[in-house]
Amino acid sequence: MTSSAPAASVRFLEFWREAAALLEAAAERPLPSRIAGAAAAFSGARFSAVFLREKEGWVRAAYAGEGGEEVLSLPDPSPQAVLYDRGALWVPLETEGEVHGFLGLSGLADEDYSDFGRSLGLLFGTLLGASRLSRLVKEAEFEVKTRLLELESLYDLGLSLAGQLDLPRLADEVLFRSVSLTDARRGTLVLFDETGSPILQRSLGEELFPSEAVFCWNLPEGEAVVNNEAATVPTCGVSFFRCEKCLAVAISVAGRRLGVLAVADKESRDGSVLDFTPADARLLSLFANQAAAAIETARLHREAIEKERIERELELAAAIQREILPRSLPRVPGVELAAANLPTRQVGGDYYDLFPLSGGRLGFLVADVSGKGVPAALLVSTVHAAVHLQIDEAETIEELVVRIDRHLQRYAAARKFLTLFFGLLEPDSGLLRYVSAGHNPALLVQNGSVQSLQSTGVPIGIVPNARWKEQTVTIHSGDLLCVYTDGLTEAVNESEEEFGIQRLSAIVGGASREPVQALCEAALSAVADFARGMPQYDDQTVLIVRRT
Amino acid sequence: MSDTCKVSAERRGDVALLWTDGYINNQGGEEIAREAYAQLESGAKALVLNLEKTRIVNSIGISILIEVLEKVMDRKGVLAFSNLTPTIDKTFRIMGLAQYAAIYPTLEEALQAVSREPPRP
Repeated sequence: MTSSAPAASVRFLEFWREAAALLEAAAERPLPSRIAGAAAAFSGARFSAVFLREKEGWVRAAYAGEGGEEVLSLPDPSPQAVLYDRGALWVPLETEGEVHGFLGLSGLADEDYSDFGRSLGLLFGTLLGASRLSRLVKEAEFEVKTRLLELESLYDLGLSLAGQLDLPRLADEVLFRSVSLTDARRGTLVLFDETGSPILQRSLGEELFPSEAVFCWNLPEGEAVVNNEAATVPTCGVSFFRCEKCLAVAISVAGRRLGVLAVADKESRDGSVLDFTPADARLLSLFANQAAAAIETARLHREAIEKERIERELELAAAIQREILPRSLPRVPGVELAAANLPTRQVGGDYYDLFPLSGGRLGFLVADVSGKGVPAALLVSTVHAAVHLQIDEAETIEELVVRIDRHLQRYAAARKFLTLFFGLLEPDSGLLRYVSAGHNPALLVQNGSVQSLQSTGVPIGIVPNARWKEQTVTIHSGDLLCVYTDGLTEAVNESEEEFGIQRLSAIVGGASREPVQALCEAALSAVADFARGMPQYDDQTVLIVRRT
Repeated sequence: MSDTCKVSAERRGDVALLWTDGYINNQGGEEIAREAYAQLESGAKALVLNLEKTRIVNSIGISILIEVLEKVMDRKGVLAFSNLTPTIDKTFRIMGLAQYAAIYPTLEEALQAVSREPPRP
């Protein structure tokens, strides 16, 4: 007994040493192949095969030697212990009762291989078990790292999108991370405006669906929809282009649909397409939520910038207009003067001016140019310059208006025009000459009755070579002339009713003996009372001339 | 952006430069592995993967890159990456690729580094 133990130990060591040498000799080959080679060399078998469990069952993973018909396939049922059967030795490769594979050897003599087989089974089973365990550990570690990457990506995406106001870059960031972290092969993101018109589409690979078709998709709010059966959105049946499985989510803010994010065909290492999982759906929903918040922020930022731009423009226009409108009214013997201007949107296209002329005469005008903001202010500026340049050159106001018209036709932008009332009053005689180029009827109050001075031609700047007819009327002492723009008469209240010329006539006709400045203010105040806070979109200008 | 990754290679002595263009997924990873293994078979000791034109990589692509890295290390070689986007850089660090393969901001820096690198024992 005492002498046999060392002998067994020595045999065991030699067995392991020899097996280790055989395995190490082909270190670059995969383990099953090395086991097959070492087992054949070690046993003297003509052919050896290693069977491993795959999805479809036990399959021959490696072999060594020639021939081997006896071990082409594993016996059914698979052997539970070392088995010699019809020239083939079958060895379960196991550790701790778990079978990791089978070794098949052929070309061996008909002997008792029980001990030898168990030794091979233990050695190679241990190796396969260790290898499998190592692989499982690696896979688990990879899985943990992947989950960590998802968390980090969500965090990074939040940070990145918080400062991202460029919509295409923002969309790429969301799309790429969504495709990447769901292992999808392709993806598409579409954003649209309130009417459903696509404003942006980004795709990785060929687009998944027509961008025009997404607005009506009945996707649930904040929840991704998986379809692993067919590449359609199950809630509406819209087909995706050339893919097998899809995952889609709506990008929404407070029930308002901003877009759709979809990915397709989850990849596997072997090239097949896997089902999207509930975890994929949750991840895509989280990305969509972050995208929605960022897109909304970007939109609000764009609107703020636009608002700021408009305000700057209006301030500039207002500055131009402030320089053009008279800072004070001239004192002209025999005449009382008052004027008021109430711009909307900070500035508009109304202009009035007064010119003390030779012989005690008074020139005055009220004009309303087309458009708003800076373009209108620039046109007013052009008219202002033209009037001041031409007023001393023109023989008559008819000629003056023609000169202004020709100046605008030549220098102003296309489709710009204005209406204008120009009056020339001789206070001594009360003779008023005037031209009204498409302007609202001026109101002449004489002895409490109101008379309209109608337009005498088309607006300025519209018709080439247009002419205007000068009219005359006598203003008696105490008579009052009110020239205004349509901002007063076309002011509307909440019922969309206009203030109208009758109300204005009643004001100026009923209080024609009031101080002219008070009358101006009363007219504007009456319009404001009538409108009751409704926003008005046109300037209001009124000029009143009374002969004393 | 295309979902198909193209890989091109240039050999400078023992160093093989691989340029990727597109999504490193299963297809892209396989393209890289095919070219990398061909370079190793023909004697390359170091591989530099320049990802300047790649903006997206998924876990399948990463697992293939890990296989390439293991193959390079089995052969006592060196693998380096250059021109990664910040997102891919972080991905490689989290997934453990950066533990055994250096990441450089530029191709030139990667080339200088792998040229200096002594062969692994």
